[in-house]
Amino acid sequence: MRKYQDMVFTTSVRLVRNEAQAEDIAQEVFIKAHENFEMLSTSPSAGGWLKTVATNLSLNHLQRYRKRWKFFSEFGSDSAEEDAPAVEFAAPDTFFDSVDSDERRAWVEDALSKLPDHQRIPLVLYHFEELPYDEIAGRLGVSLAKVKTDILRARAALAKILARGDASFRILAT
Amino acid sequence: MNPYNSDKLEAAIHGVLRRLPDRKAPAGLEGRVFAELARRAALPWWRKSFSHWPSTVRMGFVAGSVLAGLLMVLGLITLSGTQSAHQVSGSIANSLAWLTFARDLVSTTEGKARILLAATPSVWLYGAVGTVAVCYAALAAIGAATYRAVTFARQAS
Repeated sequence: MRKYQDMVFTTSVRLVRNEAQAEDIAQEVFIKAHENFEMLSTSPSAGGWLKTVATNLSLNHLQRYRKRWKFFSEFGSDSAEEDAPAVEFAAPDTFFDSVDSDERRAWVEDALSKLPDHQRIPLVLYHFEELPYDEIAGRLGVSLAKVKTDILRARAALAKILARGDASFRILAT
Repeated sequence: MNPYNSDKLEAAIHGVLRRLPDRKAPAGLEGRVFAELARRAALPWWRKSFSHWPSTVRMGFVAGSVLAGLLMVLGLITLSGTQSAHQVSGSIANSLAWLTFARDLVSTTEGKARILLAATPSVWLYGAVGTVAVCYAALAAIGAATYRAVTFARQAS
């Protein structure tokens, strides 16, 4: 459990954003793992199984508790990003090289948590969980076009937030 | 955003995100998991889900359910053919006489409403429907604005 608890917690907290809820979900993941201990103890893909269960439980949690508020929480929330400018990364490979790991983590995690749910969740599923666009659309119950648009806007918004604190980002207003 | 910039942005964001280390799980997570496992293990079998019941109890439960269902169906068939069943159905019908009265009341009200609607100018009706729709939309907008204001105020604090 110690080997995987950070990964499971991270997977969950990046999706649900709330640490207490992510801890509850991580607990449920390990209880399910305990129920499937015989299968997992000999499986080389136990980490992948735990990550998938953490993702599924987090998405279930989000859908269960936020569906009814979807209209209200997303009401007009795209307006700020409608005209998101193009962003160019001067040196993405060396980005944050001068910043230590903890500071980098806090910085990017903070930027990520500032994104609205409808942008952050597909972005996390695409970049961290490496799900394809069509699977994300299916899992979230939205159209493929919306997923692509939301991820594109999320990247632009994330870059904008990161650019405020780092000189290696240049924002090119188009 | 042109496709070139879009691809560059995707690659750059992917690079930044994938280099993020995992977050540290709360120190109490392991203890919580073991405590919850112990709590669940201590529960008696009848308070656990069906899949955790002993196999003999599960088989007994299924057999008992099937037997109870069969007995109920057989009992109903037997009872429905007796004289007392007719007496019972008659007494039930008497006790539910108010339903007939309610049905008559609804149909009378419906007839009066139809007459009233036919006599009302259609402009008035459209006006009333429009007013209700506007009030509903205004209420939804106020609710949404209040929810967002409260949510963002909570997130900001």
